[in-house]
Amino acid sequence: MKASDVCAVAFVALSAVASPGWAQVPGPNNAITDVPGIKVGHFTGNPLTGTTVVVAEKGGQGVAGGVSQRGGAPGTRETDLLKPENMVQIVNAITLSGGSAYGLAAASGVMQCLEGQGIGFPVGGGNVVPIVPTAILFDPGRCGAPFNYRPNFSFGLAACSAARSGPVPEGNVGAGAGAVSGGVKGGLGTASVVLDNGIIVGAIVAVNSVGSAFDANGNLYAAPLELAGEFGDLIPIHGGPPPSKSKPAAVPGGLLRNTTIAVVATNVELTKTQATKIAQMADDGLARALKPTHTPYDGDTVFAVGTGRISMASLGDPAFAEYLIGGAAADVLSRAVVHAILSAESTACEKSYCDLFPNACRNKKKGAQK
Amino acid sequence: MSRDRRSSSYACAAAVFTLFLVSASWAQTPGPLNAITDVPGIEVGQYTSTDASSGGGTGTTVVLSRAGAVGGVSQRGGAPGTRETDLLRPENLVEKVNAVVLSGGSAYGLAAADGVMLCLEAQGIGFPVGPGQVVPIVPSAILFDPGRCASFSRRPDASFGLAACHAATGGPVQQGNVGAGTGARSGGVSGVKGGLGTASTVLSNGIIVGAIVAVNSSGRTFDTAGNFYAGFLELGNEFPLVSPAGADVVPPSSLLQNTTIAVVATSATLTKAQATKVAQMADDGLARAIKPSHGVGDGDTIFVMATGRDTRDATNLVNGIGSAAADTLSRAVVHAILAAQSIHVGSCNVTSYCEQFPQNCTK
Repeated sequence: MKASDVCAVAFVALSAVASPGWAQVPGPNNAITDVPGIKVGHFTGNPLTGTTVVVAEKGGQGVAGGVSQRGGAPGTRETDLLKPENMVQIVNAITLSGGSAYGLAAASGVMQCLEGQGIGFPVGGGNVVPIVPTAILFDPGRCGAPFNYRPNFSFGLAACSAARSGPVPEGNVGAGAGAVSGGVKGGLGTASVVLDNGIIVGAIVAVNSVGSAFDANGNLYAAPLELAGEFGDLIPIHGGPPPSKSKPAAVPGGLLRNTTIAVVATNVELTKTQATKIAQMADDGLARALKPTHTPYDGDTVFAVGTGRISMASLGDPAFAEYLIGGAAADVLSRAVVHAILSAESTACEKSYCDLFPNACRNKKKGAQK
Repeated sequence: MSRDRRSSSYACAAAVFTLFLVSASWAQTPGPLNAITDVPGIEVGQYTSTDASSGGGTGTTVVLSRAGAVGGVSQRGGAPGTRETDLLRPENLVEKVNAVVLSGGSAYGLAAADGVMLCLEAQGIGFPVGPGQVVPIVPSAILFDPGRCASFSRRPDASFGLAACHAATGGPVQQGNVGAGTGARSGGVSGVKGGLGTASTVLSNGIIVGAIVAVNSSGRTFDTAGNFYAGFLELGNEFPLVSPAGADVVPPSSLLQNTTIAVVATSATLTKAQATKVAQMADDGLARAIKPSHGVGDGDTIFVMATGRDTRDATNLVNGIGSAAADTLSRAVVHAILAAQSIHVGSCNVTSYCEQFPQNCTK
């Protein structure tokens, strides 16, 4: 076979397989809430820290979940029960929170909120135990805030009570309120994609990374993944030194001071095993949007849930459906990271990306943020 | 035939000789308290909440290492409720844990760890993250006991963890219907009262291994005649007399609300990877003491805390420490069942092992 034939075959294969299933547009809110069955609630503290809750349901019941925990300094709850071999097959909500390990307390407030609505794993006699896996990021004591001001039970209760579908506030809110990222203000971001076979995938992320979302020239690594002008026509920045290959600088502030945490959701019915695979593939979206990622100082943790509005059986080969969903989940998560960075606002202590690179953001559309 | 018999007697002699060698290097005695607190630097605190009118109760047990202990975990039960187990993976940054919390209350009981964190922070104990700032590292596991002889909403919260942490001390450890073992049961509807147990072993090389366990198992710990499966692991006459052999009992299959949770501590200096290995080996101690174990409805989780007071390189000692950890944990399970007390309050009736087999509990 000649090289040109190989090329032609590859092109046909690409057109026949990849492209038709791969036409992608953002959902109406370009948010994880575009996935039916997903609600989001934030509670933002003052000074800046906070909690974000993602509630997932189908017919009032929980849905299958999985996790990828690859960062080196995690703070987590209920990740063991997500292992495919373990009994509980559902999650009711995922909590993302500031406050370092102290912030794990927020999940107890979420549990109380859900129990009050009768939502949880049934354990007999009308009683439920809400299944609320959780991950935290490090933000206490930043920018002169008291170290002991951090999300607690009441943050989780308030965030859960505020959970709703529709547009999701981004930037200095919820779990992203106190976040920083690679020298600029971090924050909360969300995004979604609708594939032409009806699959919807959404992501929400609190970006608080050691690594940076942009190169030395200010170009966002994940900018090429933009859909429908969502990044506000970012202007690539030319000139200046080429993107840095230099040794990373010492980590300011020492250990345990970062972590990016995320949830991806799809409207497809998943098993726990499939949700685990989707979480692993989605985690690659962090790798593409942030450099470096999953460091010893980041507790990077990505949860995945499937709300079961489309049956896996209706999509044909389940492995191929997983492949599509996982690939889309990675891209959606990368885009959510960009939204987080673009939506973040400068504080007294950290400049936002757009204040640091006003040239890059000069065409940023008003209202490009959701 | 005779050749077979001869060769099997050679094999038998070889086995006996091997056993002799093993036991010679394997002299084990319980520590002075026969408790996890025999490991220097390990403290235990418990908070027990009981309702005299209903017979119900629950509680929290904290195992504390103020100087920090290298941690590991084995999570093999099918219905776990846990906190901070991801950070225990060997590749992750934080190496030392400050405390491990065992608690009743199902997943709601994970809130107890919040109270333990505040208690430790107030004492400046934790992973340092800045001037005067610490984040206490407090892995946690829960067991299912809500709604047993009491309201479903009665369960450990942050105040339980705070109280248990404040009560932490070295010295003797109360066993039975206390702390995380307060509401525990073992062996299902036809079973007995579960509880909290502890044990320790001093190896001939001077390394100390201790275990503490809250037994709330779907499986049983003894046969129909009352013989403990782990009875053969007795050290220093610590168990009751053995009865004539009985039969295994297959527990009912509908038991989905259980969980046995434990901490093993050692004076050895271990890496996180070695602590993980010791946790895995210790988990076999549950398998020997409880049948079945690690079931679908058991969230069985074993933590390890290595205090490093014994500064020897443990590379060639891990096997011995892990074996002793398994045996010590098995013995702690037997202590838990022996120390558990019956509850007979109104319609709340749970029989203890010693009520069921009084002839075995004369010691």
